[in-house]
Amino acid sequence: MPAVVKQRISRRPRPLATGLGEKGVLTQLAGRRLLVVTGKGGVGKSAVAATLGTLLARAGRRALVLEVDPRENVHQMLDVPPSGGDIVEAAERLFLQNLQPRQVVDQLVRDRVRIELIARRILASPLYHNFVEGAPVLEEAAILGHCLLLAEGRSRGAPPLDVVVLDAPATGHGVSLLSAPSLVSAAIAAGPLAELTGEVAELIGDTERSAVVVVTQAEEMPVTEALELRTELAARLDRSPELLVVNQLLPGGPPRPRAGESAAAKLWRRRRRLQDHEVGRLAAAWPGRRWELPLLPFDRGPELIEALAAAAAGQDA
Amino acid sequence: MTTGFEWPRLLVVVGAGGVGKTTLAAALGLLSARGGTDTLVMTFDPSHRLKDALGVGAEAGVETRVELGDAVTGRLDASLLDARRTFDGLVDRYAPDPAARDRILGNRFYRHLAGSLAGILEYMAVERLLEVWRAGEHERIILDTPPTRQALDFLGAPRRMVSFLESGAIKVSTRRWFVDDGRLRGARALGPLGRRFESFLDDVVGLELLRDMGEFFQAFGPLYEGFRQRARQVEQLLVSRDTVFFLVSGAGEENVPDTLFFARKLEETGHHLGPVLVNRLHPRAGLAADREAAVRGDGAALLAWLAERDARGLEHLRTLLGPERPLYDLPLLPEAPSEIQSLARLAELLAERLRGV
Ligand SMILES: Nc1ncnc2c1ncn2[C@@H]1O[C@H](COP(=O)(O)OP(=O)(O)O)[C@@H](O)[C@H]1O
Ligand SMILES: [Mg+2]
Repeated sequence: MPAVVKQRISRRPRPLATGLGEKGVLTQLAGRRLLVVTGKGGVGKSAVAATLGTLLARAGRRALVLEVDPRENVHQMLDVPPSGGDIVEAAERLFLQNLQPRQVVDQLVRDRVRIELIARRILASPLYHNFVEGAPVLEEAAILGHCLLLAEGRSRGAPPLDVVVLDAPATGHGVSLLSAPSLVSAAIAAGPLAELTGEVAELIGDTERSAVVVVTQAEEMPVTEALELRTELAARLDRSPELLVVNQLLPGGPPRPRAGESAAAKLWRRRRRLQDHEVGRLAAAWPGRRWELPLLPFDRGPELIEALAAAAAGQDA
Repeated sequence: MTTGFEWPRLLVVVGAGGVGKTTLAAALGLLSARGGTDTLVMTFDPSHRLKDALGVGAEAGVETRVELGDAVTGRLDASLLDARRTFDGLVDRYAPDPAARDRILGNRFYRHLAGSLAGILEYMAVERLLEVWRAGEHERIILDTPPTRQALDFLGAPRRMVSFLESGAIKVSTRRWFVDDGRLRGARALGPLGRRFESFLDDVVGLELLRDMGEFFQAFGPLYEGFRQRARQVEQLLVSRDTVFFLVSGAGEENVPDTLFFARKLEETGHHLGPVLVNRLHPRAGLAADREAAVRGDGAALLAWLAERDARGLEHLRTLLGPERPLYDLPLLPEAPSEIQSLARLAELLAERLRGV
């Protein structure tokens, strides 16, 4: 990947966390090399990835948030300029990179075909274009491969890192991303890509080194999908998510109905009742750690992430 | 129902993932049937409860009648698309003989990877659309579109899929690289670029997979032409006067650029854009927004803040779209409409908006 590390603009010192709780899930996550943050688009995956990166960096880990989305969002949340493919330093020990899946595969070609002119011709050929466009499983495997290289300090020009937080692409199912490496490595017998995807498949299969974080909202569709994801993850990869984040919850404890109450108070009560029902559905079927994060009155930006980090730390204690 | 909105024969509901396209397509279907028109709603990934309401839970790819009661003169059918089944069905129908069909259906590449080909769901959606359009059993079709990263992906997908099927990579893999018994041809025959490319593909994807793909595309050969023709026909249908696009957007300022981009792109590509609908707008709360209170956990204050934010977004969008474009909004309802009764209430709200054109 591009060797440039953009310097962050302001170097406000950030306070170190006072230390992670003994039993908190953050402590558990802090020991992994790769966190895959997955969920339906719009539920707040990027916000949660940025929050996790922030918390881990403050706890002393060198963390990189990798966003794979043509629309860059995470830089706004971390208050830095867009990455445009480069690694950007966002705070002490916290880095950000935005990549297009296609860039990841292209890089692979450049690494393999070392003669620049020929690499360029291959990259420009419609043959190659169609091939890569047509097989997203290749892109998915390559994204995870890139994470592995980053996390292990094998990516040229990248800073040394302890953990990579992948803000997984919103398309497709989380499980298809996670099973791509084993699919590709099963299909390919030998060569560098076979080796790399084999290693990635191992990383994904190793619950000591990788973790899966599922983000959802307390609404019917996202909850149903989160539950399906859990089931499929168990069936296809024999693992369960380390953390479930229920995002964008209305505050609890709306007042009882009374005459003359505002429409907002009424909506609050009804929506919250619905959310309680969905959280109940999750709680019944989801053993394991769960964070409940509030819907906050902030636009996409550092204030939002600050508030989410505070809420998450509170939940984890 | 007389509305200011002119119903087309084919209404395509588009928008980014998660904005409520499926629910709105169902509500539009209900409205259409109530207006006395026989209507088919083709959906993707409805929620479980919506599936139950429409009765499409049991079998994908099959139309089911939705019970609307005697008062409704139009009939409403709903169907749920299953990409895999449609693909298998196409192979079954268009393969020249049973042996060719079995070669494709049994191919390892087809079984494991073809289901995850980019754009396959979208391609199958338009295949199915063309099929029911031609069958002509409904006076109106309302097409919900699959969830894509970007709303525009849907339109480009059929062409991408066809170009993948036809791509030079395939020709190379079937004709130049492999001799008839599936062994690799001498790389010398390919020239320098070919040699590089071949060794790259070999490294990256491996010979076994290439061979599976080669076999697949060879077996698929006789079907290409049909795929290409149908993709072209559906493209023509989508730009024809019969078709109107109904663009759904999420609320809030953040969604404005995407919505605007999509609206412009649709028109640039010769499609007919109808109304734009901002869905799940936080309703005006009768309260002033108070961020401090909201942060402290006052849900009513939070909803008031969200209502102001959404109203700003709507105004902004209105300005950018211009006065000509019909722009509606629907409020975030206390409960997601998921039975016929609540869908009917949503349809009522929608009808009021459409009448006001
Ligand atoms: N807890 C929250 N409170 C308020 N806004 C949130 C919260 N979580 C996410 N958002 C906002 O919701 C929108 C979607 O979140 P984002 O993280 O970009 O979703 P995703 O990455 O899952 O598509 C963004 O505008 C983000 O700022
Ligand atoms: Mg995102």
